[in-house]
Amino acid sequence: MSRDVLRVLTEARPVELDPEIRVDEATRTAELARAMAGTRDAHRERARRVRPVWVLGLAGATAAAALVATVVVPDDPAAPRSPAPVALDARTVLLAAADRTAATPEGTGAYWHSRTIHRNHFPVTEGGRRYTIEVTQATDSWTPARPKGKQWSRTQNLGFRPASAADRAAWQKAGSPTRVKVSVPISPKLKRLKSAVYEAAPGKAHVQASPLVDGDKVYWIGRNVTMKQVRSLPTTPATLRKELLRWYKGHGTESNSPMPRDRWLFEVGGLLVTDLPVTTKTRAAAFRLLADLPGVRSIGKVRDAEGRPGVAVAAIERTPNGVLQRRLVIDPARGAALASETIVLEPAGVNAELPPNSLLGSSTFTTTWTDKPLS
Amino acid sequence: MNDAERRFTAIYDSCRQRVWAYACARAGGQIADEVVSETFAIAWRRFGDIPEPPLPWLLGVARNVLRDGHRAEARRAAFTAELAHWTPPPGGDVAEDVTERMAVLRAMAELPDGDREVLILTAWQGLSPREAARVLGCRPAALRVRLHRARRRLTKAVEGSAARSPAPRPGPAGVVRSQVEIVGREMT
Repeated sequence: MSRDVLRVLTEARPVELDPEIRVDEATRTAELARAMAGTRDAHRERARRVRPVWVLGLAGATAAAALVATVVVPDDPAAPRSPAPVALDARTVLLAAADRTAATPEGTGAYWHSRTIHRNHFPVTEGGRRYTIEVTQATDSWTPARPKGKQWSRTQNLGFRPASAADRAAWQKAGSPTRVKVSVPISPKLKRLKSAVYEAAPGKAHVQASPLVDGDKVYWIGRNVTMKQVRSLPTTPATLRKELLRWYKGHGTESNSPMPRDRWLFEVGGLLVTDLPVTTKTRAAAFRLLADLPGVRSIGKVRDAEGRPGVAVAAIERTPNGVLQRRLVIDPARGAALASETIVLEPAGVNAELPPNSLLGSSTFTTTWTDKPLS
Repeated sequence: MNDAERRFTAIYDSCRQRVWAYACARAGGQIADEVVSETFAIAWRRFGDIPEPPLPWLLGVARNVLRDGHRAEARRAAFTAELAHWTPPPGGDVAEDVTERMAVLRAMAELPDGDREVLILTAWQGLSPREAARVLGCRPAALRVRLHRARRRLTKAVEGSAARSPAPRPGPAGVVRSQVEIVGREMT
């Protein structure tokens, strides 16, 4: 052909494909409305921050799937691992933790080191056998106290094991597979499943260092915030509550599913006491905020998944996937929150096939200030 | 309207028709509306991820939406089917020019899907190699290689189809323009 083919092609663009055409107003209105009817996704926006925070550990893709706590799924149903619950008023426990926290000196260090062990329970069907596995993952993060630093993280899959003695027997009858496939719900409504493969053996640790988003944002708490902002959160229950509720939009922290205000405060308050580098005064205020929430009751003395003794306080959450019990394991004597756990009391949706009172998952937390990352 | 909504609306207004044109060229007008709707729903959900300039990113999202929903073979069929409805641009006073354009469009339909995509992004969307590379998730250098090959194959296809059959004579310009309105109405 005589002329440059790309130039001819450019000129040959059909009229319909002209980008300067204006869309008609009705289409424009409908498309904008449809787009913005959705909620901006915390998951996605989180991709720009280095570390997820508005998460009670198990949230995210695997969230409501299935977790199990040592307390709930004992090896032998007749002999629970943890001592029998002792009646301890939730408010008393939380106020005691608040007092203890307020009396704790501020830690110091260049990095806030948070170590979280997530345990998730997944039902497996393999070789005609059904059993539940407990998948364990460890996440360490080191968040710099000052701007311009790097945020470090180390994650490692620690492998799976059958969740109980009965599960072990079924797993052995299935040929003791060391790789198993499970279905994990992915959409917010959890109707779609994707499969994931888990290995029995621990995987390699992945270490990552990332510059801070915008040079100083370290956490996502409904928005990207700096360490300074985290450290300046209010120190009385009323002002803290007011500040936190500015970010409450009627739905859960990790999904678009509706969540009542008090349940949301329980979740977010739980985050402040378990995981975030707030000042001890703010943490004490968070414990008091939790103590004032209606519907929080004590489960009594338990051990967390790491075997540490504490007292569990719990709130009930009604979801499409069943009635869930969200637990916080508190050590009132140290003024520390040790773990969060989720139990499905009345299974439905993706949890429908689980027995009532199954532990879906747990996260245990260990936090401290330190001067060196990866230490 | 808050800041996010305002910014999102501005992005929509500047990019919507380009995303639609891309989806239409790739897969036909029938599903372009769906793809646009889905793309902007995703864009809102991922609002914090939208870079500046937003267009290559949006086209990349639309591309994923298309890829998830529509196979390459179906896309080729859509392009060919669409071709019958598309209106050649006005102008082109010289009959040879018009014939040439028609031949290029037909040749586009014969190209492998990947070639067609690179050509649509550069020739019809006017993206720079760097921007097109962002849409396709490859390096600008790789994009240039792809573009070079696509262009070569397009030239060959044009020559091949010219050799096989004489291009049908396009109608007079007036007729072509009146089609714009009819087709345009159908498509919106």
